[in-house]
Amino acid sequence: MNSAFMEAAVSLNNDYVREWKKAGKKVVGYTCSYVPDELLHAGDILPYRIRGFGATEATIGDTYFGPFICSLPKAMLQLAGEGRFDFLDGAIITPGCDSMRRLDECWRKAGEDIGGILPKFFFHFGVPHKFADYTVKWFIDEILRLKAGVEGHFGVSITDEKLREAIRLFNRSRDLLDRFDDLRTAENPAITGTEALAVILSGTTMPRDIYIELLAGLIGAMEKSGGMMGDRMRLMLVGSASDDVNLVRLIEGDRALVVADNLCFGSRFHVDRVDETGDPFEALAGRYLAKNECPRMYGEYAGRLNMLIDKAKKAKVDGVLLQNIRFCDLHGSENGLFERDLEEAGIPCLKIEREYGPLVETGRLKMRVDAFLERIGQRRRSA
Amino acid sequence: MRPELKEYKFDSMLLSTFASAAKLKNGSDKEYRTMLKYIPYFNGTVTTVLDTGEPGLLFIECISKYLENYITAREKGFHNAITTFCFSPGILYAMDVFPICLEVLSVAQTFAYKRGTAEFLDFCNEVGYTETSCSSQRGTLGAFLAGVGADVDMVLTDTPGVCDTNANAFAFAAAYLKIPFFSLDMPPVLVDVRTDQYHNADFRALIAFLEEHTGRKLDLDRLREVLKEIEKQEELVAELEDLARIVPNPLPVTFNLMVYATRFLFSGMKECTAVLESMIRIASDNASRGVSGLSGGVEKLRTFFCYIDHYTNSLKLWDFLDKNGICYQGNILSRSWASTAPHVKEYRTEAAAYTFDYGGLDAMIRTMADHNSRMPMIKSIRGPYDAPDMWLQDTLSLAKMYSADCIIYNGTPGCRNTWGMVKLLARDTEKAGIPTFIMYGDAFDDRVESWEASRDRLEEFLRVRRLLV
Repeated sequence: MNSAFMEAAVSLNNDYVREWKKAGKKVVGYTCSYVPDELLHAGDILPYRIRGFGATEATIGDTYFGPFICSLPKAMLQLAGEGRFDFLDGAIITPGCDSMRRLDECWRKAGEDIGGILPKFFFHFGVPHKFADYTVKWFIDEILRLKAGVEGHFGVSITDEKLREAIRLFNRSRDLLDRFDDLRTAENPAITGTEALAVILSGTTMPRDIYIELLAGLIGAMEKSGGMMGDRMRLMLVGSASDDVNLVRLIEGDRALVVADNLCFGSRFHVDRVDETGDPFEALAGRYLAKNECPRMYGEYAGRLNMLIDKAKKAKVDGVLLQNIRFCDLHGSENGLFERDLEEAGIPCLKIEREYGPLVETGRLKMRVDAFLERIGQRRRSA
Repeated sequence: MRPELKEYKFDSMLLSTFASAAKLKNGSDKEYRTMLKYIPYFNGTVTTVLDTGEPGLLFIECISKYLENYITAREKGFHNAITTFCFSPGILYAMDVFPICLEVLSVAQTFAYKRGTAEFLDFCNEVGYTETSCSSQRGTLGAFLAGVGADVDMVLTDTPGVCDTNANAFAFAAAYLKIPFFSLDMPPVLVDVRTDQYHNADFRALIAFLEEHTGRKLDLDRLREVLKEIEKQEELVAELEDLARIVPNPLPVTFNLMVYATRFLFSGMKECTAVLESMIRIASDNASRGVSGLSGGVEKLRTFFCYIDHYTNSLKLWDFLDKNGICYQGNILSRSWASTAPHVKEYRTEAAAYTFDYGGLDAMIRTMADHNSRMPMIKSIRGPYDAPDMWLQDTLSLAKMYSADCIIYNGTPGCRNTWGMVKLLARDTEKAGIPTFIMYGDAFDDRVESWEASRDRLEEFLRVRRLLV
């Protein structure tokens, strides 16, 4: 695999971001996959998904957030407070979940105490929690509000034509990622789950045209190369936001491959297409709000369960690893339902709760994953 | 869960408990005192509430009636719905759907039983619902998931956009029990044309959902009747809030709890009106005599709770306040945001308030949507805490208007939303000159931190800040 993917996945201010900035162009971060990044691209701004990767302490995060909060936004605030997001010219906060949306206030207040850590463009982007004609209308207005904000602050013009171009470009990357997904879930994939996560999430940290070029090259190479499956167990990784390739590496060890996922930094990143005909804002709203893969879209459990079962069957997984970050009640609770219903459908599950951040609990996690692999290994042998 | 808990429906047991409590004072005082010995974990609640006189008795009767209504709804040809405290039940009563408010039932259990809701809380975890979720819903949800509650027709909530852990509890319940689900969604801004349109459309969708699942059409006359009753209740609440401004405050400490609990149970119904009217009679009488509502008669301190109260168990929080001469100046649960509310008039925040209009279906839907979207919590913590009309503005203005000497935050560890901003809020209220204390216990589960530990910390705060010498 081209090392560019992994390098982009394990560094914040990566080479591509630095090159982009060197050219005098702007970078705007966003916290959730419900932000239509095509809009930023159309304004010649690099959309960059804000991450918590690399935080090694929570002193700043804990100063502003209360104790009973998911460690991902705390890690993001920590990095922001340490100046590691100084390359961002703007940030868009969404109500992805309660912990994440309070990053808005915590970052702003931290910015009053620590000079220079708050991007000058700071935008709260409201995303409805359900899909209906009136919620789509709201969302279109919200996208237009964001457009006006971006244009006003950065002095750019986001025309319909530029937006359509961006939509076509991003759809092209989704087509490629679908192809990549097919190869990754094949009988004998040529790539590990660790690498796969790096490939997908690096798309949120680099210019899309460069990403497409790299991705096309990788797919070409994968189509020609041999597999690495061996007798490893096939796993699917599901649940809370996970942008840490080391977590997948820990899970895989030398006995398993994560051949599929349903993570917002993973394959949920490229589902569906934006309609390339008609009004581009309606098209964006349609695609982004219709995505019901995240449990923040309440009342859509049945659809998500069916989608998981389909994915599990397509990827022929031996088991599903349902993980949630502590205090992530949305994924944690839905994982409880998934466990009940997937097991009932004959798909073994392991449900684990973890902290986000440096893998301080590797021993505990590894022990539970190993026990699960033992269980599904016996099942496979007796089949 | 212990097998014996599965022997009886929890809500039928609770109904028996409160129905019996309502009759305790029917006999002589000696009989009453003797009976209290047989309910060692409930007698604190009973005495504190019944000692307020007529309002207390009506309040306990209200709880019984509420339980009976939803338990028997289906056999009477009506429907019931699991719902949340901040979902105004008016529209449900107008359509013969009897609400099952999880949070109020959790409080009723912590008030009545030594075990509180502990085993139901834990049962939720057994079936995969996270232990970090809010204990207010979880405490009663477990009973329904375990099949020891009444059969339920549907699940309704209005907290998406306001409180994830709340909305998630209801979505989980619907998925687990495989029954219909509807949620009203709340945008992050309150005063805005887009938001108004959104609320209206959402509320129409709710009515369509209710009509579909009950097979009944919305009766405009019934709705009008309910709305008129709500308006009357809002006037009564405004009067109580006005009375609470007097020094000394003529309201007994438990009145605030009774105001919000009654509204959560019976908003738009005569039962609620009767409790409120009765409270006004007592408070007005105290006010006319210049008497404090505290049982000791001396008001030493006025506190404002910026979120919710501490409900475990036997009303110990209220007992603590009363015994120490600490007057309770309300919380966000008890507030009305009608345009006639004293704080709305005082701070000229009419744009964020609601009015009543019975002009026709559209006007009534708009009224219901406005009312519902300004329920406690729904109004104040939907957007950034320091945005206009949100938590900080509400807290500071209410604390100042009611002459509070300090602000106290109490919630549950499951409250992701407020824990994401309460440190910032406290910093700002302290800057504004009001000592502020953050309690780390769980309002519904004293296994997290015992009431005694919470009380000690609260006392320490009051002592260290020289609020209570």
